[in-house]
Amino acid sequence: MTRRTNVLGVGMIKFAKPGASDDYHVMAANAARAAMQDAGVSYEEIAQVYAGYVFGDSTCGQRAVYELGLTGIPVFNVNNNCSTGSTALMLGRQAIEGGLAECVLVVGFEQMEKGALSNKYADRPNPVEPHFNVMERNQGVDSGPFAAQMFGGAGREYRWLHGTKRETFAQISVKARKHAAKNPYAIFNQELSLEEVMASPQVFDPLTRYQCCPPTCGAAAAVLCSDEFAKKKGASNPVYIKAQAMTTDYRSSFHEDSMIKMVGYDMAKSAAKKVYEQAGVGPEDIQVVELHDCFTANELLTYEALGLCPEGEGEKFVWDGDNSYGGKFVTNPSGGLLSKGHPLGATGVAQCTELVWQLRGQAEQRQVDGARLALQHNLGLGGACVVTLYGRD
Amino acid sequence: MTDELRFEGRVAIVTGAGNGLGRAHALLLASRGARVVVNDLGGAMTGGGRSSQAADQVVQQIIDAGGEAVADYESVEEGRRIVEHALDAFGRVDIVVNNAGILRDTSFHKMSEEDWDLIYRVHVLGSFRVTHAAWSHMRDQKYGRVVMTASAAGIYGNFGQANYSMAKLGLLGLSNTLAQEGAGKGIQVNTIAPIAGSRLTETVLPKELIDALKPEYVSPLVAWLCHESCPESGGLFEVGGGYFGKLRWQRAAGQMFRLGRTMRPEDLEKAWAAVTDFEHATYPASVTESLTPILDNINAGPSRGGNDLIDVDAALAYRFPKRTTTYDERDLSLYALGVGAAANPMDDSELQLVYELHQDGFLPLPSYGVIPAVNNFLSLAKEGVLPDGFNFGLERILHGEQRMTLMRPLPTHAKLTHEMRVKDVFDKGKHAFVDIETKSYDESGELLMVNSLIAVIRGAGGFGGSRGETGERNTPPAREPDAVVEEAVHANQALLYRLSGDWNPLHADPGFAKAMGFDRPILHGLCTMGYAVRHVVKAMVPGGDPRLVHGLEVRMSKSVFPGDTLITEMWKEGDRILFQTRVKGRDDIALSQGAVSVWEKIPEPKAAPAPKASEPAAPKAQEVTSAAVFSAIGAYIKGHPELVEKIATIYQFQLTGPDSVWTLDLKAGAVAPGETGKPDCTLRLSDADFMGMVRGEKDPQQLFMKGELKISGNIMASQKLTFLQKVDPKEVAAAAASTAPAPAAAPTVTRSPVAKQVFEALAVRLSANPALGKDLQADLRIHVQEPGATATLRMKDGRVSLAFDDAGPVQTTVSLTDEDLERLAKGEETAKSLFMHGRLKVEGAMAPAHRLSFLSNLI
Repeated sequence: MTRRTNVLGVGMIKFAKPGASDDYHVMAANAARAAMQDAGVSYEEIAQVYAGYVFGDSTCGQRAVYELGLTGIPVFNVNNNCSTGSTALMLGRQAIEGGLAECVLVVGFEQMEKGALSNKYADRPNPVEPHFNVMERNQGVDSGPFAAQMFGGAGREYRWLHGTKRETFAQISVKARKHAAKNPYAIFNQELSLEEVMASPQVFDPLTRYQCCPPTCGAAAAVLCSDEFAKKKGASNPVYIKAQAMTTDYRSSFHEDSMIKMVGYDMAKSAAKKVYEQAGVGPEDIQVVELHDCFTANELLTYEALGLCPEGEGEKFVWDGDNSYGGKFVTNPSGGLLSKGHPLGATGVAQCTELVWQLRGQAEQRQVDGARLALQHNLGLGGACVVTLYGRD
Repeated sequence: MTDELRFEGRVAIVTGAGNGLGRAHALLLASRGARVVVNDLGGAMTGGGRSSQAADQVVQQIIDAGGEAVADYESVEEGRRIVEHALDAFGRVDIVVNNAGILRDTSFHKMSEEDWDLIYRVHVLGSFRVTHAAWSHMRDQKYGRVVMTASAAGIYGNFGQANYSMAKLGLLGLSNTLAQEGAGKGIQVNTIAPIAGSRLTETVLPKELIDALKPEYVSPLVAWLCHESCPESGGLFEVGGGYFGKLRWQRAAGQMFRLGRTMRPEDLEKAWAAVTDFEHATYPASVTESLTPILDNINAGPSRGGNDLIDVDAALAYRFPKRTTTYDERDLSLYALGVGAAANPMDDSELQLVYELHQDGFLPLPSYGVIPAVNNFLSLAKEGVLPDGFNFGLERILHGEQRMTLMRPLPTHAKLTHEMRVKDVFDKGKHAFVDIETKSYDESGELLMVNSLIAVIRGAGGFGGSRGETGERNTPPAREPDAVVEEAVHANQALLYRLSGDWNPLHADPGFAKAMGFDRPILHGLCTMGYAVRHVVKAMVPGGDPRLVHGLEVRMSKSVFPGDTLITEMWKEGDRILFQTRVKGRDDIALSQGAVSVWEKIPEPKAAPAPKASEPAAPKAQEVTSAAVFSAIGAYIKGHPELVEKIATIYQFQLTGPDSVWTLDLKAGAVAPGETGKPDCTLRLSDADFMGMVRGEKDPQQLFMKGELKISGNIMASQKLTFLQKVDPKEVAAAAASTAPAPAAAPTVTRSPVAKQVFEALAVRLSANPALGKDLQADLRIHVQEPGATATLRMKDGRVSLAFDDAGPVQTTVSLTDEDLERLAKGEETAKSLFMHGRLKVEGAMAPAHRLSFLSNLI
């Protein structure tokens, strides 16, 4: 019999631009302290740590949690590109669920450089080579940022299939900024108009600058525990993980000459399906979603992959306002990667943090009324996609 | 002189400094501020006697000139005392010049043990003892300079000097190792091989020559090697009579035998030219470099084996010369007739295979793809071009199997370049199987097809190699065939088929056939295959469309005679159609294990990259040019054959300003100007950026990100180019100085706009067939950027009109360049691909843009 995994506490720090943050170990330790305080546990009670980050030398995780104590516990450093944070969460969940630990700390952090992502190790094969090859065949390779070309290309393909207006993509950024304006942890707190988003410099048609997530420094943490541990701590009704699934690339990512599939559409669709089946719910039962909006194009695709709207109806979904307060769902109430920021290793844990606050009714100005079920989608090229469903009794 | 090399504060020991070379070294060092221990035993040049006079005179001369020196009369065999003397007198020792020496020349058969031993003790043991005593002081102070004195006699040998030659080259070995041991300690050790008129050389050189060879012509080198600013260590220098030059080892390219095979003296006898071939020499300078080829051979793994008839390693390493052939509709028609097509000239689908003016278009029979590849093999074989390691006659070869994969349907005419190699050799026990692979590229360099000719080499097996694939391929299922086609082969069919290129008299000449054991000429196995493929296309390929055939495989099992009736049985299994062909009335399966694989839809042809127009300009003389760099890269690749294994990529560099094209073939390990092969990865950048990249000043990734480096083909392969920065700058300079191959100029192409032509053709097509545009159901504007032409198509409400203007509102406007319109009209590009590449902009409704295929095949 498997055990339930509770999210006993969460915490994060305000995300910041590269150069304007503390060093990674300070950020991570501060986020972890906040999560432990929220959970009411001390570091001595933590049995294992799962530390997620992408850029940094080996064992940054230890460097970070050694700020909290030197108790000799196992520390696992986790790297899974942009889905690193939720990958760490999943490992923590497996430890609790399998009865290997009673209480673990998951911490995600990233100290990023300025500018677009690039390959750090030019002397060996690039892990995203198969993805590049799809892009090369379909649209060639431009000199712009690689990630923008990949997701922008998926946006182009979506436009080709559905005749979508460029403004539809831009409108997603307008929504994201609106949400982030009420999130004190977000990197951007100013709203933007549709005209401003459209007028920002083009990065890769249809994406403009304001439709790309910014390089960000930040950290977030979560304390996961068993029912017994939660009871011992006096937590009466904690948020818990109802279902979770990770997928990696399918044949369709590379063999169907589709940019949409190359950037992980089928990974997301399949992970969501598994989660709905595990939990016995459908998308219509969900109120709030944190999804991986690294670029506006991917948010649009993800509406359909997660089943929030039928395939091909993303444009209508956007203009009907079904992605915000008053509509069918609220997607990315935190501002998402676009506006809260995207510190790679922290993102998956920060999504979890926002959803736990939403389910507890602690999201203040951003609170989604009647939030009972919350869905998280975190994607990394290379690739991996983790979809998680959170709930509360 | 302010830039004079000085030795203030340095203490030098010069042994044998009473006369000749040693005296000149000591005087020069002292004149430059060194404090010198002038060591000389004062003995005779053959080793007898001793006196203090020689050393004292030199010391006096130094002191008279204002220098500092002490005389030392010890034998070098007492090296420790000489060093102690230096420490007592001056407190340190920085420089040791081992110069003392004697001669005991005599031809070897007269040489006594004493002659041998005395030479050894003075030269070798003496140099060892002095240097060894000084070494620990040099290590402690982290500074030292040691010079050993060798001789040409040691390097090259000299009659009557066996003992002396031994000793002199022994010192070189000592010096080489001390240079390495001293490297981290600030100690540098070098060896000179001087020639000078001294007491020692008076015995072997004529008087006039000795007068010209003053010791003062040697000492400057010793002083320079002993100076703190000299970087040299571990060197050997020939010096004298005004000449100074460094020596190094050179090693022939040599002969490598793969491990795991018996190596016999006869193999070496045969390979002797390669063992001693200095044309492709290397210059190993360390034990590591010395071991490189040996380690490479170990890394290359064991030999694949072979026997008297076949050498597998040689065969696999062999590359056939590239050949280019062409075919057109006539060849295709003749072939189709050769394999029995259009026996009924009223059968429309068969007529399409042989009639180039057919109203629905001419269709090549896909099995024709085998012909250019097989003919290429046959014609090379006829010229005697066979792979290395094929040590057998053609009579042993049987055509066992044929496999072919098409990358896209065969065009109706093509100019193909064939790259052929022995892909694998299998040991099937009695016989060997050889897989001869041919890759055929079209004129734009795109791979069109890959053929595998599996030949049985009778009696060549049993060498203990890999058996390869065993068991049956493409075994038909147990059920009844899904389709069966029966067809008689005409009695003169072989005579018709052979016109496609297989001239073997076995298929035409009754006498020849008889001699080969047949009653009459037999049908070509590939002709039977053509029949079978026709049957499969007709009965099993959707719509009978030959363009859907992706690949085929077949084994030729039994002979067929013209006049036989063939029965082809077929089974559909997934995207493959399995088949076998029997001969009616006999129990013979002529073709077995056959398979035809089928595409779901016809793949589109790839667009040819547009060559860039350019103005070739000659590179400036007297500069290190990219040509020199490529030449150096070539040398580097030759020295690093492992790169070929590791990278296995063909790069093409298209450099601009001045323009040149280079092919860096890391499959064949060659660098050449121009386009010599089909590149996997093409890089376009300026000559200056390329040079910056090679010098390590520019990062390829950054150049790419800034758009200054354009890469097409396999982008990832460009990351493997980091080895370029390891190319030795000296090699570059050397290549620049020698004759580098001239760069090939980039091709120059000019084109004129086609928009008008396309639109006019569209008007003609629409007026002839107004229904064409009906399903568009929209008004569409095509805006051609630069040179600027616009057409507006109104196709709504069942009416079609085409105007060359941009008047009035439309649902959709698409914009593209004239070049891309041309590609679209020629069917080389699809609208979707152009859109994805950002080269087709769509404003307004998207759906009409999906239907731009009505533009294709307009020109």
